Amino acid sequence: MSMGLPAVVGYYEPWWIQIIKAIVIFAVGLQLVPLVLIAERKLLGRFQARYGPNRVGPYGFLQPLADILKLLTKEQFRPTTSVGLLYALAPIISILTAVAAFGLIPFGDTQDIFGTKVGLYGVDLSIGPLYLFAFGAIAFYGIMLGGWSSGSKYSFLGAMRGAAQLISYEVSQGLALVGVVISAQTLSLTGIVHAQAGMWYVVPQLAGFLIFLVAGFAETNRAPFDLTEADAELVGGYNTEYGGGRFASYYFAEYLNVVVVSGIVATVFLGGWLLPFGLHPPGWVDPLVVLAKMSLVTFLFIWVRATLPRLRYDQLMSFGWKVLLPLATVNALVTAILVVATH
Amino acid sequence: MSSVLFFIAATGVIAGAIGVVTLRSPFYSVLALVGHLISLAVLFLLLRAEFVAAIQVVVYAGAVMVLYVFVVAYVGDSGEPMGARLHGPGPLGSGLRKGGAVLAGCLLTELLIALLGTGLKAVSGYGAGYAPGPRTFGTAAYIGELLLTRFLLAFEVASMLLLIAAVGGVVLAARAGRPLAIGERRAGPGEPGEEVGAPLDLPRPPGTGTMAETVGGRS
Repeated sequence: MSMGLPAVVGYYEPWWIQIIKAIVIFAVGLQLVPLVLIAERKLLGRFQARYGPNRVGPYGFLQPLADILKLLTKEQFRPTTSVGLLYALAPIISILTAVAAFGLIPFGDTQDIFGTKVGLYGVDLSIGPLYLFAFGAIAFYGIMLGGWSSGSKYSFLGAMRGAAQLISYEVSQGLALVGVVISAQTLSLTGIVHAQAGMWYVVPQLAGFLIFLVAGFAETNRAPFDLTEADAELVGGYNTEYGGGRFASYYFAEYLNVVVVSGIVATVFLGGWLLPFGLHPPGWVDPLVVLAKMSLVTFLFIWVRATLPRLRYDQLMSFGWKVLLPLATVNALVTAILVVATH
Repeated sequence: MSSVLFFIAATGVIAGAIGVVTLRSPFYSVLALVGHLISLAVLFLLLRAEFVAAIQVVVYAGAVMVLYVFVVAYVGDSGEPMGARLHGPGPLGSGLRKGGAVLAGCLLTELLIALLGTGLKAVSGYGAGYAPGPRTFGTAAYIGELLLTRFLLAFEVASMLLLIAAVGGVVLAARAGRPLAIGERRAGPGEPGEEVGAPLDLPRPPGTGTMAETVGGRS
């Protein structure tokens, strides 16, 4: 493994390649969200022994398009008790942080395209996972400010739950990644993928993988941890008072976060663009491999949502602090000892 | 490009800092502090300290300020605008004003010593040069190595301090006693059941403590 070299390439790319990459990444993200939306609704339908949406377009595949058009053409309103500026700002923060995190996922190694070296990722940082957690931290303000500035009790309660949940599970998520970082001995995400050439980290880091996945469910406010927007108790949580385009922004950010967590799991634990059994396909296959692995993880997200009931709030908290956090700590500790002992 | 970014970030830093002390609502003060800390992270990035920048956002904007926002939003506005006592009449107001001036003077002197001692040299320079490689200036590996070799003592002392603070927090929280159920109130002075010698057992409105308390004492 050539340590460090992949992490540096991003700095030397010409500015126009970086602009093109930024546009491509945003466009890809924009396409993935409706796909995840329709996949979730169709699969939830099948899990619950019904058809799911099947009226708009062939097999109902144009349903997300209709939903988004409906939301975007609605009137922009805001409650009289809301705080204007923050109310408008909060969904923007949410969507910004989601797209920024998406830019980190490597879809392939550095490729030779028409004689120019291009990395198939937005940016490969020497602080990979830390950048991710930094934007995860800012994403909190999107939810919190949205709930607070709505001036409604339900929104506020949803935002408060989200706040407590994010703080609790972010720690376990970070510690789960520490094991991988210690094993790979680099913080660069492409470096982590290269380090998995012999064996994907899902095998030696199985505990870390499971902890990261569970914490990922909580971080993206997905079932069974979707107390932030528990519709039976809170109407809709932090986005109760939102409608139209702003609600669409929250919705987009939420599903993009699912895609991002799937991408991180695929990169960090499932070997990124690497294939097992010594297969070395040409470079253009790499993004397809990553997308296939991501969709597997997304399918797991939907499967869990269809299967598990929502936790009670105190169960959520005691699970996060008393089960997940000690497990993640022990995992990081054992990995560190093993790495030092085998060196 | 970097000088444009520097001036944008520096404006954000100063505006955020001024906002913290001048804004009337505590909630906005906290938000101004968040803006200040994020702008500061951009300045760290410009100094090629990417690890410090990320940690700045994760720890300060992401953990410490989240707690501040949480508490301020939960407890709510006290009604009294911040700084009312400072501008108020009487010995309390004048004392606060004098104390504030002395503390600000001390801070200014200290900062000037640090700035004149080191900062002026950096004005004409371009910061640390960018060098590719896994263990160069600003990377996590570089900082980790420094922490475990050159600054080992300071690092260990700081971690001990944090540990003591955490244990102290738990002890103080435990002394506050059993959480009240909804509708219940603490015994007043002289009544049976009053806890004597608990200076931190401040009265607080029911439902502002833990979540468990809010849902009826279940934990």
